[in-house]
Amino acid sequence: MESRSRVLLLTRPLAVAAVALVGLSGCATLKWPWWGRGEAATSETAPTAVQSAEQAEASAATQAPPRVIEPEVERRTIKRTRIDTENFELGPWYGVLSVEDFGTNPAYGIKAAYHITEDFFFEGNIGRTTLGKTSFELLNPGSDPLNLGDERRLTYYSLSFGYNFLPGEVFIGRNLAMNSAFYLLGGIGSVKFANDNKFSVNFGAGYRVLPTDWLTLHIDVQDRLFESDIFGTNKLTNNLEARIGVTAFF
Amino acid sequence: MRAIVEGLGRAAGALAAMCCIAGPLVAAASESPAESPAAVSEAELTRLQLFVAAPYLDLHTGPGRGYPVTQVVARGESLDVIFRRTDYLKVRTARGVEGWAAARDLRDSLLADGSKFTLDLGDRSGYQTHGWELGAFAGDFDGANLVSFYGARSVNDNLKIELSASQYLGEQRSGYMLEAGITHVLAPEWRLSPFVTFGGGLFRVDRDAQRPNLVDRADQSAYAGIGARFYLTRRFFLRGEFKERIVFTSRNDNEELKEWKVGLAFFF
Repeated sequence: MESRSRVLLLTRPLAVAAVALVGLSGCATLKWPWWGRGEAATSETAPTAVQSAEQAEASAATQAPPRVIEPEVERRTIKRTRIDTENFELGPWYGVLSVEDFGTNPAYGIKAAYHITEDFFFEGNIGRTTLGKTSFELLNPGSDPLNLGDERRLTYYSLSFGYNFLPGEVFIGRNLAMNSAFYLLGGIGSVKFANDNKFSVNFGAGYRVLPTDWLTLHIDVQDRLFESDIFGTNKLTNNLEARIGVTAFF
Repeated sequence: MRAIVEGLGRAAGALAAMCCIAGPLVAAASESPAESPAAVSEAELTRLQLFVAAPYLDLHTGPGRGYPVTQVVARGESLDVIFRRTDYLKVRTARGVEGWAAARDLRDSLLADGSKFTLDLGDRSGYQTHGWELGAFAGDFDGANLVSFYGARSVNDNLKIELSASQYLGEQRSGYMLEAGITHVLAPEWRLSPFVTFGGGLFRVDRDAQRPNLVDRADQSAYAGIGARFYLTRRFFLRGEFKERIVFTSRNDNEELKEWKVGLAFFF
């Protein structure tokens, strides 16, 4: 461990960065406690009802045009006001993944998303499927030319950006309106099967319906492209995935 | 979170309706409880109360600019903020009407004590001062493809504590890295602002064509790097960086590996 730290300091770029960082100005502006950052800056305490009414009148007199009728609303005393933000989405999905040469098989996984603006979101996915038999294996029962054995599991993940292309509302009957959106997805990730990891690119589209403010139903179709050399030559494979999912906003 | 509890009842109704079970019955049952002022719950008492100070406030049917405006709240009327999604706030008026108000439109509203309501809108000032960052990168790691994801917590405008997970996928070898580090943004107020970073973590090799019988797969690593971030719009910025990494292998020589990557990140 001692030799490691010596190596760390003796190595030029690291030493330069360390020295630079010590001398940098930002550390001096560090405020304590630093973990209370980024929260909505609203008033911490509120005065009594009498005080607030007086203030409201005073501010009304100075800023807003004179009101004929004061609205009769009850002003509450607030101890701590923090707005509940619900931008994260998490839930399972189930569907099918067609792996080139290995047939179409059931797939399942988990997806998490963060909604950045009304138009864009960031999405992470983890999925798993079991590879089917290749044509050769089907024609020659009992053979295992790829030496896969029990390694027929394919695991993949992807990080994507999504764009709410067609936001809207859907109606069921007279009394139920649900928000919905048709969205486009694109990203990068990796696929692991047959003891190897492959870089993958994914793109597709999906449709989302929100029966309530927090519950979401999804239908997604994506193409996952990766280069496979499992049959000797390197080739680009297209692997289509179709799935349904349920997520909750929190 | 609070909305989840409240929404449970309506979710059951909505789902049943979707499955076409006794449509008319459910439709009657799923009428919004907001329209009949029920007993005030604990959650409602702690909700933020706002007073409209602009001449009027539009309420949309959904969290987006295109959703139709079905309600208008007049100046001086009060609102309860139920929750926020992106830059829209779901609110309930004193009359029990629910709708979505744009955060931008609420900038002029007042709190119960008469003071001005402020909230972050995800603009250029937020780029300088924010609490969290998330982003994804693609790049090159010693000739291998690199996929990387990071999250950062701001200590102040300059200093960030970062956690990153990366996977490198090459012809010769593949594996992943889990690292923690510190990033110092030199001039956070500039649109294009450079930064320096250093840290360390775990370096793992899953497959190595040159050393097929790898015994020690996990090593420690340390890195130093420079980069720049460029504010795009709203909550987005581009980030590119170059890192020099040392892997403390259990062999006689340590490895020095170069990495560069570019990606899209956002703050909140």
